[in-house]
Amino acid sequence: MNPGPNETEAAAGQLREMIAAQFGRSLHIRTLDTGSCAVCEQEIRLLSAPHYDLHRLGFFFTPAPRHADLLLVTGPMVRAFGVAARKTYEAMPGPKVVVATGACALGGVYPQDPFVHGNVGEVLPVDVWIPGCPPSPLALLHGLGVAVGRLAERTPGLTFIAGEGGAA
Amino acid sequence: MPFWFARGLRRGIVTTRYPARPDQSAAWLPTPPAFRPGQLTRQDADRMVAVCPGPALRRRGDTLVFDAGACTACGKCIEAAPHAASSSGEFELATTVRSALIKEIPIRGGLR
Repeated sequence: MNPGPNETEAAAGQLREMIAAQFGRSLHIRTLDTGSCAVCEQEIRLLSAPHYDLHRLGFFFTPAPRHADLLLVTGPMVRAFGVAARKTYEAMPGPKVVVATGACALGGVYPQDPFVHGNVGEVLPVDVWIPGCPPSPLALLHGLGVAVGRLAERTPGLTFIAGEGGAA
Repeated sequence: MPFWFARGLRRGIVTTRYPARPDQSAAWLPTPPAFRPGQLTRQDADRMVAVCPGPALRRRGDTLVFDAGACTACGKCIEAAPHAASSSGEFELATTVRSALIKEIPIRGGLR
């Protein structure tokens, strides 16, 4: 039996609290390229450069999904990669977080291409969406902060109308 | 030194705040457009939808529907109607709800 929307919401809230409590200062990230053009990867790589210094915030990259708490997914999810993505997700210990990174992963670049799912959400249960083509390292840091509940979300308050809602 | 020691003993506090200081390079980033509904006509909206390389913009009646998640910040819509849109300067757009990224922009002369 599928849980109702309220139960799902409550479970998601619990998971978020658990992650904030357990991974407050040590969260291991596994990146997963599902057919991206590698610019998202370039920006992710920049996170460990001294200028952004991801490790000062308690995030670390790990090469194995079995050691990872957070799956950072880039690319439009090529159909041939769906099974591998699913297996990667299943190999991770819980509680786990999936972060879709970049416009491809959000369904913005290949929405109807026959060779891709077009949206990471079709294969994996995504918890945080980071837009941008590519998302800058600052946007990625903000997204990771949102994922562990350390930074507040700003998007629902933005209107993208000039002079309103914070957008210039 | 005692400051860092005391800070290290506290639970759940980051080593350094984010951002540690405002980042200069943030001003040079390409960012999604912000629209001016008072200047935005149906013709402008249709031109923007036509030049958008992705599915980020579409018109639904008298509303321009903007999906910031699908936007690649290419700036073509700003070029197409510079009086009705400009760069928003917003790039920290991470969200836990995908639909929070979809915004509705009213068009001038619309019923809203």
